[in-house]
Amino acid sequence: MDQTEARLRALMLAGLAGDAAAHRALLSELGRLLRRYYARRLGFGTPEAEDLVQETLIAVHTRRATYDPQQPFTAWAYAIARYKMIDHLRRAKVRPSSPLEEADGLFTDGGAEDLVVKRDLDRVLAQVSARTGALIRDVKVEGLSTREAAQKHGLTETAVKVAVHRGLKALTARFGGADENR
Amino acid sequence: MKTDELIDRLSADLEPAPPWWVTRRVLIGLGSGAFFSALLMVVWLGVRPDLMDAMTGAMFWMKFAYTLACSAVLAAALIRVARPGGSVRSLAWALAAPFGLVGLMAAVRLAGADAAARQAMLMGDSADVCPWRIVILSLPILAGAVWALRGLAPTRLVLSGLVAGGCAGAMGAWIYAFHCNESAAAFIAIWYTAGMAAVAVLGALVGRRLLRW
Repeated sequence: MDQTEARLRALMLAGLAGDAAAHRALLSELGRLLRRYYARRLGFGTPEAEDLVQETLIAVHTRRATYDPQQPFTAWAYAIARYKMIDHLRRAKVRPSSPLEEADGLFTDGGAEDLVVKRDLDRVLAQVSARTGALIRDVKVEGLSTREAAQKHGLTETAVKVAVHRGLKALTARFGGADENR
Repeated sequence: MKTDELIDRLSADLEPAPPWWVTRRVLIGLGSGAFFSALLMVVWLGVRPDLMDAMTGAMFWMKFAYTLACSAVLAAALIRVARPGGSVRSLAWALAAPFGLVGLMAAVRLAGADAAARQAMLMGDSADVCPWRIVILSLPILAGAVWALRGLAPTRLVLSGLVAGGCAGAMGAWIYAFHCNESAAAFIAIWYTAGMAAVAVLGALVGRRLLRW
């Protein structure tokens, strides 16, 4: 995922300097990511989703000078994609908060927004030991069963349960207030 | 139109992006707004006649420092919210500092005054007009800020409107300080701040509608 950030950012910087081929490559790749992002929220193959892909690509193009090279590119692109999504829902007179929250729960694989989420997750899991971090990731993020994780790490199931529980407790104490069973 | 055609069209004749685009556009918007606001102040209210004498007093510079510090922090915040995903949280303390200092100064002066002097410090001679004049002098600057944001890419419209209004209010208050002859810290802390806050609220109210892109 850092590779995606690095690749897209390099394309963006080249495009900002006037490299048309890099800019085209960037828009094509973003188009694919955006198609998946909007399809997941508005339904696959709906005309609205494709309209939003185009609208967002135009926004990325015309507002490209607002990208700050000091900041992650994926966060910038995601902020635009999300803004266009909310704007669409508002125009469509759908109450934006609840459908968006449901849709945000659908992050499972890939997508520009995922890069941002994963970056934060890496940062959070760096707070506990490497093994506990790996166990939490396997059980709570990747969705392995306790038994599968135990086999993968050569531990007993009880040891996995205890490590995950303690790890989450430590993280909850560290970051405060979050519902640990989510 | 097919998305592939769109991408072809967008990447044809690509111009290099101008550097410092966001900062430049925000400063142009605020600067031209301030120019018209200053013109309005001179024509409508007039520069205070004793400006030269007043400039030797500490209170004149306190007003200056207060309004300019708020203007500078909020202009920096405006540059941040003009970018997609821009966050202004780290500037909150920088903004709290001038408010805190002026509030503290007002409290100290008020505590050391008797009841009649306290009343004079709080209300001055122009408490009833001061905030409204600041609001009116801020409108050209708010227009400039909105113009700047509309060409950029704010993604949190209400927050962006609030910051634009706050910045316009602070700059408008600075321009009003060339006319206003009040010199009590308490007066500045209450009535200048009220004018600035009113413009900030106005900005937040119009943000969602005016800043859409």
